[in-house]
Amino acid sequence: MKSIIIGGGKIGFNLLKTLKDRGYNVTLIEIDEETCKAIAEDIDSDIICGDGTSLDVLKDAGINDADIIAAVTGKDEENLVICQIAKKGFNIGKSIARINNPKNIPMFKALGVDQTVCSTEVIADLIEYEFDRDICKIVQTFDRGAMILVEVAVKDGNRWINQYVKDLSLPSECVIVSILRDEKALFVRGDTQIRNGDNIHIITNRATVPEIKKQLHSGGAQNAKQKK
Amino acid sequence: MNIIIIGCGRLGSTLALELADAGYNIAVIDSEAKKLEALGSGFNGLAIRGIEYDNNILKQAGISRASFVILVTPDDNLNITAALIAKNIFKVPRVIAKINNPSKKDVFKVLDIETINPTELISYMIKSKIEGEPK
Repeated sequence: MKSIIIGGGKIGFNLLKTLKDRGYNVTLIEIDEETCKAIAEDIDSDIICGDGTSLDVLKDAGINDADIIAAVTGKDEENLVICQIAKKGFNIGKSIARINNPKNIPMFKALGVDQTVCSTEVIADLIEYEFDRDICKIVQTFDRGAMILVEVAVKDGNRWINQYVKDLSLPSECVIVSILRDEKALFVRGDTQIRNGDNIHIITNRATVPEIKKQLHSGGAQNAKQKK
Repeated sequence: MNIIIIGCGRLGSTLALELADAGYNIAVIDSEAKKLEALGSGFNGLAIRGIEYDNNILKQAGISRASFVILVTPDDNLNITAALIAKNIFKVPRVIAKINNPSKKDVFKVLDIETINPTELISYMIKSKIEGEPK
């Protein structure tokens, strides 16, 4: 698979390195000559020194048979222009734009950029994840949090221990999809019993996560207890 | 008629002042406050400092009622981005962008943006003056 990276800053450089290590055919375009030289000394790859928003430079980089374009320069407008050229001018299946200002995300989406990566947002997510990691960690986010996959590590003191899944009073917008126990996946049914040390995977949305956390600490098992 | 001019350099400010004097409703956007000062106190229109293609700034400039958006910043990519947003998101009837680097002409064409190419125009005018003289 052939890919083109535009922008040889820290992100572009590390992306090139990673993709090269994985055996992809990658070409990098960077406008600054010094930066190009520095990268060329480090990595043995196709590097083109030129303006990545110019049609000729993109053609030189082989855009005609590229499968993926990643525009990761420090300027949002440059990244947008590159993705638009790739889409309208060359019919590239997949274009990814780095967005520096999260405010620009909806506009980029409206203009048809397939995928956007916003470092500000990613870092904010990571920080949030670190805060939450003892209770729930977000494994995967779909469509900016409309649906997320959460992993709950059950440990001492959680109210879910020894409860049957059918007895948990879960919020309506969540589904338990599986439990990882002793490195094996269990496909959860109502009569599955939760044990200490389980990793429970739950599909839910951003808004419901706090509710799930609350359940883990207090509410969730109360119904079951009353039954006993 | 409402017109938004993005970029307040020599061309942008001249255009803004002349159109405003001619009775059009003009809003000028530039990210540099200093450039907006070129309009002077006599400017009878709206001068907005902010990121040129920012949603809120464009709305503040009244893009939903604009008949024309003119892109005259010195940065081609900025002109293209703002033009695409004006055209495709806000559906402005006419969007015209200035081409700074003539080699970028084909990019504007691929993205279907109406343009003015000053370098080409000036070069044509100079050539016609030269060619008017006997050899």
